[in-house]
Amino acid sequence: MDAFEGFVRAGLDLRGIPADESDVAVMRAADAVYGPAIRRLLDADLAGAMPEVGLDPSGPPRELREA
Amino acid sequence: MSHPQDLSLVQQAAAIASGEIDPREVLDATLDRIRERDPALRSVPVVFPEESREMLDGAPRGPLHGVPIGVKDMFRLPWRGPRDGTAREQLPPGESAVYRRLHEAGAVIVGVTNMHFWGGGSTGHVSAYGPVGNPWDPARCGGGSSGGSAAAVGARMIAGAVGVDGGGSIRLPAAYCGITGLKFTYGRIPLQGYTHEFASMDAAGPMCRDAADARLLGEVLAGAPIPAGGPSALRIGIVRDPFWTDLDPEVQRACEDALEVSGWTLQEMEITGAEHAQIAAVARLTLEGLQTIDADALADADPIMRALVKYEKLLPAELLVRADLIRARIRRALLGAFERCDAIAWPTVPAPAPAIEAPVVELPSGQHPADAPNVRQSGFGNLAGVPGISVPVGLHSTGVPIGLQLQAAWGRESVLLDAAEHLERVTERAYVDALPPVAGAPA
Repeated sequence: MDAFEGFVRAGLDLRGIPADESDVAVMRAADAVYGPAIRRLLDADLAGAMPEVGLDPSGPPRELREA
Repeated sequence: MSHPQDLSLVQQAAAIASGEIDPREVLDATLDRIRERDPALRSVPVVFPEESREMLDGAPRGPLHGVPIGVKDMFRLPWRGPRDGTAREQLPPGESAVYRRLHEAGAVIVGVTNMHFWGGGSTGHVSAYGPVGNPWDPARCGGGSSGGSAAAVGARMIAGAVGVDGGGSIRLPAAYCGITGLKFTYGRIPLQGYTHEFASMDAAGPMCRDAADARLLGEVLAGAPIPAGGPSALRIGIVRDPFWTDLDPEVQRACEDALEVSGWTLQEMEITGAEHAQIAAVARLTLEGLQTIDADALADADPIMRALVKYEKLLPAELLVRADLIRARIRRALLGAFERCDAIAWPTVPAPAPAIEAPVVELPSGQHPADAPNVRQSGFGNLAGVPGISVPVGLHSTGVPIGLQLQAAWGRESVLLDAAEHLERVTERAYVDALPPVAGAPA
């Protein structure tokens, strides 16, 4: 069992969710596709990035609507 | 006289209103055509002639009086609970807002359209009703998640269908099937009675053969007019990185050619945060949907979807926080961008519709499962909440269509429909009027 399989089995076990061989294979494939972008976002320097308070996707950010 | 489904949505509505054709004959002919053409595509897996006839009998004289429409299987209908691409009813029967808007306009819902399981994919090849085929080549994907709506319109079984787009699910299948798909601004079409009503990324919209039809159905769904006739001289923003990178060369050329013949002023620009838009959209889209999937649903799920849900359950909370920071960055940057241009443009999908048997696409960087590069092109608009349209602008050498995507500022659907009509004119309607083999064109 490699690190990836150990991580997913232990993580799912904590939640009481079973995982079989084919689940692990699909998860491994998904991680090969999305994992690099996930890790880039987790490592990105977002210092100074401000969250949007009161998100309303039907228009521009509220703080800029008034400006 | 030609078959009523060879007429556009606008033409059907006009012919019924003038008494030139009987809406009962239109409904019967539509059901016959679905029976004849759909076995290869699985795009309209459920029709309900009795309820459709009752809907017609009680139809008011609205703008779509007697016109058959397909509805993605995510909306409550009085006689059917939506199934979301699964084998199980996800909500009880009832009146969704989309049903009410269609009913008030006099439309006749002729069937529900097939879709990717839980709306969770851009290919449409995973569904309890079987994979959605592409009208241009039934062995290729019709797209997802609103693939049934796109394929049914592309195959001239119906002239209009309702789709929903949470990560590209209107625009991507529209591009695959060579039709015009408009994702509205978030919230402009009410989603009451929709299976993912909680979602912050999802917006409904019309899927039709051309922009005039999309305008008519869009006005009905939005409950408001979308005036035509804005300026044809547009300023178009071109965001090269990441949206014009790693594309199939024929897709890139067709989209560049369409922009060149448009005569619009093209302006290169950058949008802060765009480099993370794909994964931010995937994180937001999948994680906000997880709370609806209980143990029973997980146990019943398609094996691939079940494993993907398990993967999503292991993603760190920090990812979602960071995704929302990217979303905020993009939304702020877009407001500035739309002061400098009327719309932004890039290819709707990076490569043509892949084979159902192996839904992977070939790009300069190599072979990829279609979903990831597709969402790179589409998730940006869902994060932002802005409207987006896919317009057919070419045919790939593999025989399937190519789509160009345009997105405008919040509430500016009229800009997109005007732009789509302009593209239709300058390309002499070569692509919106092109017929796929399943609709009688030579293969």
